[in-house]
Amino acid sequence: MIENSFNRRDFMRVLGWGGATVALSGCGNTSIEDGKELVTSYVEAADYVIPSIGTYFNTTCAQCDAGCGIMGRVREGRVLKLEGNPTSSINKGKTCGLGQAGVQAHYNPDRVREPLLRNGSKGETITWEKALELIKDKIGVGAGEVAFLTGGVSGHTKVLLKNYLDALGSGHHYAYEAVSPAIIRAANKKAYGVEMPRLRLDKAKVIVSFGADFLGAWVSPVHFAQQYARFRKNAQGERGVLVQIESKMTLTGANADRWLAVRPGTEGILALGLINGLAAAGLSVPKDVLDLVRSYTISRVSKDTGVSTEHMDKLVALLRARSPSLVIAGSAAEGYAHGSQNAAAINLLNKVLGNVGKTVEPPSAISFPQITPTTGNRSALQALNDSMAQGKVKVLFSYGANPVFTAPVTMKLKENMKKVPFKVAFAHYMDETAIEADLVLPLNSAMEDWSTSVPEYVAEGAQLNIQQPLMEKLYPGTLGMGDILLALLKQRRPDEYKGYEDFYSYLRGAMVSIKGTLGKASESDDTFWDGALSHGVVKLKDTPISLANKVSAGNLALPAPFAEDGGYPLHLIPAVSASLRDGRNANEPWLQESPDPLTTIVWDSWVEVHPKTAAKLGIVEGDIVEVASKSGAIKAQVYVFPGIHPDVISVPLGYGHEAMGRYAKGVGANVFRMLDPIFDKETGELAMHETRVKITKAGQRVIIVKDEGPAGGNQMGRKIAVRMSSEKANISKEV
Amino acid sequence: MSIVNLLENWSDFRQQHPSDEHKHLEYKWAMSIDLDACTGCNACSVACYAENNLPVVGKEKFSHGHSHHWMRIERYWDNDGREFADQGAQFLPMLCQQCESAPCETVCPVGATNHTADGLNSQNYHRCVGSRYCNANCPYKVRYFNWYDYPTTENVWPEPMRQQLNPDATVRSKGVMEKCTFCLQRLRAAQSTARTAGRSVRDGEVQTACQQVCPTGAITFGNLVDPEAKVGKQWMQQQVELNKDKQAKDTAEHASKLRGYRVLEELRTYPSVMYLEQLRESAI
Repeated sequence: MIENSFNRRDFMRVLGWGGATVALSGCGNTSIEDGKELVTSYVEAADYVIPSIGTYFNTTCAQCDAGCGIMGRVREGRVLKLEGNPTSSINKGKTCGLGQAGVQAHYNPDRVREPLLRNGSKGETITWEKALELIKDKIGVGAGEVAFLTGGVSGHTKVLLKNYLDALGSGHHYAYEAVSPAIIRAANKKAYGVEMPRLRLDKAKVIVSFGADFLGAWVSPVHFAQQYARFRKNAQGERGVLVQIESKMTLTGANADRWLAVRPGTEGILALGLINGLAAAGLSVPKDVLDLVRSYTISRVSKDTGVSTEHMDKLVALLRARSPSLVIAGSAAEGYAHGSQNAAAINLLNKVLGNVGKTVEPPSAISFPQITPTTGNRSALQALNDSMAQGKVKVLFSYGANPVFTAPVTMKLKENMKKVPFKVAFAHYMDETAIEADLVLPLNSAMEDWSTSVPEYVAEGAQLNIQQPLMEKLYPGTLGMGDILLALLKQRRPDEYKGYEDFYSYLRGAMVSIKGTLGKASESDDTFWDGALSHGVVKLKDTPISLANKVSAGNLALPAPFAEDGGYPLHLIPAVSASLRDGRNANEPWLQESPDPLTTIVWDSWVEVHPKTAAKLGIVEGDIVEVASKSGAIKAQVYVFPGIHPDVISVPLGYGHEAMGRYAKGVGANVFRMLDPIFDKETGELAMHETRVKITKAGQRVIIVKDEGPAGGNQMGRKIAVRMSSEKANISKEV
Repeated sequence: MSIVNLLENWSDFRQQHPSDEHKHLEYKWAMSIDLDACTGCNACSVACYAENNLPVVGKEKFSHGHSHHWMRIERYWDNDGREFADQGAQFLPMLCQQCESAPCETVCPVGATNHTADGLNSQNYHRCVGSRYCNANCPYKVRYFNWYDYPTTENVWPEPMRQQLNPDATVRSKGVMEKCTFCLQRLRAAQSTARTAGRSVRDGEVQTACQQVCPTGAITFGNLVDPEAKVGKQWMQQQVELNKDKQAKDTAEHASKLRGYRVLEELRTYPSVMYLEQLRESAI
């Protein structure tokens, strides 16, 4: 196995392709220092290498699951900067800040560099042969299941994973994402027949988003941001109107023409109220829907939701006047025990408005089901946890997830993991889960590795993303996930896989074998493969799907608004920030020092409190407060914030690591841990916004470290950032 | 360029904003930023860290105001005493405005910051003695001082993170001032390529890092001298003139429908960055 990983370089040299080839000649890495490799002079430079000139190679961003195509600038064997790949239909040459920081995941000083085997509380370095042998032994003994916990997976990694688990017989795959739109997916499946329809923001004249932070952290933000630009100024020079309805302002909410603070959990009620209003304004609505919304009069809904009748009337008038519109159900709507019902009500509003087929379009199906994305959810972790609690798991693999960090404390996941005799973590960092493992296997970074992937949300057609190494491995002791899975498969099905020297040859073989179905049969294998690598994406044949488009009330039933809880009077919204997401990128310092767009805070957690609530509780900015739920408590600094409902407080996710690395450890507090075990009734997903809390002053006060000046958000009468009413401007005449 | 030369030809280096006597010849780099497209996402800021070797200073130094974000997003609220910021925030990407009559240049005791022929406000790190007068005099607060020797400061660029550093840009040491350069290394490479080919840089041939990354395409950058450049067309259409401290359209009797403006223009800095006002729908 080890030999293979070294031979791969020779293999790539023979092929004369890929960033890795470039890297070979130039960079002085550990293997060269160890004297194992020849240093080639620049006089005999490899193809494409001109000292001081950067060359771009296309690959795929691995910072989140959106699957943006990126190109890395490689100079003298080092990757320096990432830009968007213009060929990718998802991001068309653009990236986000999170994507930019991908190089810091690669060059991170805290990466795990060698396989480590637990010896008491220490990890001892072992070889890959021993590590893989150990896995084989541990799987061979005793009864019980082999559990493979992953994040969302797709492409050939998924193929090999599936085949490995099939080969084991006793294998179970648990796909877990700590923050995923799992409830929305289920509701969409019911409403439209697909989990993620294509949303055409660019075709909409009005967007009503119920807490979907599509400009920040929701599904495919870079793609949506580009569509948003065309929504704000389309080819005819018209400007779309964005109305955001949520209890805590997201980045998208901060860009809305009107941000409506809604009482938490009443999003569905508001949607039905709008249907009622639209019907009264003359929109034709089927009878069963009309019966459903009859009692949701504007005045009652205004009372329930806290949104004024004036704004509801204006919104109804706007939706009547401008068509097509687009209604989006986001994470703020789905985060409740009735999250599925909320999402269903919002989807119903979309259908009643006639948007299906106009701004809600069908996605393309991929003709190769083996590589289609398996998306993760939170109930998968619940299932794994139950299995572990009952002592049914004999070997646990963890890849692309950090459940010890992201599981609520009430799950007792860490304790249950102790019942698993052998735990293997595939890791970039010694994070909270890797620390608990018996065997830690260090992975190549995304800039050193081969893989393919299919993102859940593809903007046009069907597309397979290719990830290729942009440079030589930094550490000889790391290995790619594909190579590891292949080695594990060789233990089980040697006859089927012995022909593949390594994952690269497997992948190349796999890709070349389908060139015929892609209409490229006339190309030589090399031409086809080189073309795929140089584009970074492979367009697949897509099968059109049609959306279910029957408007019907179904079995929609929304609960009454929340009753007050005297002991825990406030609702906690754990916020998903564009940079830190579920915390997996917390050890990248650019992200820690990149101010939160709304509060401008850096390097710490904070608690957003509405000025009215702060005044009532006698709290000012910088007060350290204890936020306590029934399940746990954290301490953090208060930021008084005008973009939050007075009954709500919000704390960002992703902070509060107890391990992982120098930039993440000890920064802020982990709000995942204190979430109450309340679940969506239909899907069984953890309801992220259901936790009720109380806050008490902890006595200290700090000066918040943030980017905004002493005047806060006030321009002090200066003309700095200027705003005008849209009817005054004539953007159709603009260049 | 010696100090003697500098002093003798002071008026050339202290070139006033372009007038009929002092026209920009081949290049005048300028930018426009559409605040209605800007979402405040911070991608530009992070891209700038990656391109220009900006140090991450950490929480404590950040609290002392020592952060090095050449491109930063300023966030303002305009809720006029209403209960919520219900028309959202106002984001403004703030970077060096590359003023034609830069207040920072006049106060530099050693001429370390001065104007280039292509209209950039340049900073010569070798000449800078760290007086910080320029920083004090900058109305936009976009100059950043190296209070520490960041290359040797713990956890700023630990191995192997220093391998990411862009060899085309400098790494600054303690005691010098630094600022946005409009990605000078990219400009010079493009200008050199164009010169070799015997032509000028074409519009779109060079992008700043912030412009290239921006997901909504809010940033336009180019050469104001080039009649084909989008940025120049935008300036012209918005009736924003580089060498005016008060735009004619703002004094016109009828209410202007044009969104273009420059920040703190009345200070007679003649900035090279034009912003387009954010819009908000009044029907909702």
